[in-house]
Amino acid sequence: MPTDPTPEMMAAIRLWSGVDCPNPAGARALEDFPALIAEFEALRGTMLFEDEPPAFDAALRAEQEPQA
Amino acid sequence: MTDLALLSVTDAADAFAKGEASAEALVRASLARIDAHDAQVNAVIRLDREAALEAASAQDKARAGGVALGPLAGVPMMHKDMYYRAGRVSSCGSKIRGDFRPAVTATVLHRLDAAGAIDMGTLNMAEFAQNPTGHNAHFGDCHNPWGLPYCTGGSSSGSGAGVAARFFAAALGSDTGGSIRLPASICGVTGIKGTQTRVPRTGVMPLSFSMDNVGPLTRTARDAARVMTVISGHDPRDPTSAPEAVPDYEAALTGDLRGVSVAVPREWFFDGADDVVVRGFEAALEVLKARGASVTYVACPSLRAIGAYVAVVSRVEGATIHANWMREHPGDYAIHLSGRLYGGYAIPGTHYLEALSRRGALLRQFCREAFAGHHIVATPTLRMRVPTLAETSIDADPANWARHMAISANTRPFNYLGIPTVSLPCGFDDRGLPMGLQLAARPFAEGRALAVADAYQRETDWHARVPAIPAAP
Repeated sequence: MPTDPTPEMMAAIRLWSGVDCPNPAGARALEDFPALIAEFEALRGTMLFEDEPPAFDAALRAEQEPQA
Repeated sequence: MTDLALLSVTDAADAFAKGEASAEALVRASLARIDAHDAQVNAVIRLDREAALEAASAQDKARAGGVALGPLAGVPMMHKDMYYRAGRVSSCGSKIRGDFRPAVTATVLHRLDAAGAIDMGTLNMAEFAQNPTGHNAHFGDCHNPWGLPYCTGGSSSGSGAGVAARFFAAALGSDTGGSIRLPASICGVTGIKGTQTRVPRTGVMPLSFSMDNVGPLTRTARDAARVMTVISGHDPRDPTSAPEAVPDYEAALTGDLRGVSVAVPREWFFDGADDVVVRGFEAALEVLKARGASVTYVACPSLRAIGAYVAVVSRVEGATIHANWMREHPGDYAIHLSGRLYGGYAIPGTHYLEALSRRGALLRQFCREAFAGHHIVATPTLRMRVPTLAETSIDADPANWARHMAISANTRPFNYLGIPTVSLPCGFDDRGLPMGLQLAARPFAEGRALAVADAYQRETDWHARVPAIPAAP
C-alpha cells in the first residue's frame, strides 16, 4: 500500500463515481481507510464459497429464542 | 394538579381512557412545554398546532360518543422529520429536501393514527439521519435538555431531546447505526430498535436499506412496548417486512427476572471506555441481579469481524443513494455529511458484498458466543461520557472526526447483527449528563429486552427524572 493512499483513492472515486472531494472532511474520511483495509486483510479466507446475503434472513429465523 | 406534559404514554392514555384528562388538555400541556423551552432545545422543526388541537378535539368527541379507543388515544407525539405524510413537507433534516412533499404516508404513521395517537408535527434530526451527535447545519443544532452545550445524540436528536424535555410522550426515531439508542442514552430516555424488518419502512426516508430500523423513543420501557406493539408487523406495501406475528409486548412485562441470564461481552464494548461509564454500567448490573437475574462475562471473538463489516455496509448504501446529489450539488450538504458520504465511494464492491455475505454466519456465531445459555446481552450504550457539540463538530474542525465517529462504536454492531436492542437510562455521569444501559436479545425477542428494561425501571428512577431546562434569555 502507498504511504499515503489518499490521492489514489480520490482518483478512483472520481473515475468510478464522478464525485470530487467536497472539503477537508472528505479527505479526513479517507484517512481511516488504511486501518479498515488492514481489518479486512485480517479477515481474508474467512468467507466461504457458499456465503451469500440471503443467509442473513435465514439466520434471523434460525436464531430465535427457543420457546419454553 | 399534575402537569399533564409529565405523563408517560401509558399514563396519558389511561388518563384519557378514564376521562381524567381530555386529549385537548394533553395537547395543550405539550404545546405549553414546547413554547416554554424549545427556543433553547431546538427539537422541533414544524409544529402543527391547530391540526393537533383539531385531532385532539376529534378524540374527545369520539370518547364522549362511546367510540372504542385505540391504545394510544389522546397521546401527544411528534416524529423525526423523515416519516412521510402525503402532501406534507418532509425535509429529512436537509436543505436538499427542504420542499419535498411525498405522495405516500408512512405505514407506521397510519398505524399510530389508527391507535389514536395525536401527531403534533415534525422533529429536528441529523441531516439525512447521518450523524450520531445532533448537529444540523440547516435547522440548527439540537441541544441536550440536561445541559445545553452538550450533544443530544443522533440521528434522532429532536426525538430524544423532545421526549426528555417532556415536549410530548413519545417520538419515532430511526436507527441504522444507533440513531435511536444514542439519543435515548444521551438524553436519558428509553429507545428500542427492533429485529431487522420487524417494523415496516414504507414511507420512511432510506439511509441504508440493509440496516435501517424504525422505532420509538419514550420515557419508559412500558411505553416503548405499547408503541412497538402498535407499529410492528408485516406490511404488504413493504415486502421486506417480517411476517412473524407480533405479541402484546406490554403484557409480558412482569418485573420478574428470576431465571434470566445476562451475558456481558468482554470484547469491544469497553475498549477505551470512560471509568464513570463502566462504574455506571456495573451498578446497573447489580440492579438486574437484585431483581433475580444472573450475570456472566463471555468471550465474543466475532465482534472484531462484525466491527469491520459494519463499517462498510451503511456507508456504501448511503453513498449510493446520495450519488446524484453528491455529483450535482455537494455544497448543499453540511461539511461533515458530504465528507462522510464521500468516503463511501472508496469502498470496493467486493468488500461491501463480503460484509453482507458474512452477516448470516456472523449472526449465528455471535449467538453461539453470547446467547448460549443466556437471554440478554448487556453493554454500555456509549463508551464515553456525553461530549459537547463543540468538541464533536467536524464542520468547525475536521480534527474532531475521530471523536465524532467514536460515539456510535457500541451501537453499530447490533445493526449489523439485526437483533433487537434497547437503551435505557442508568444514571448520570460526573458532569450531570445521562448514561445508558444497552440490552440486546435474540432475533424477534423484543419482548425479552423490554421485559428486562421494565424490570430495571421498577427498581430505579433514572427514567423518571425531569431536566431543569434553563429559561430562555
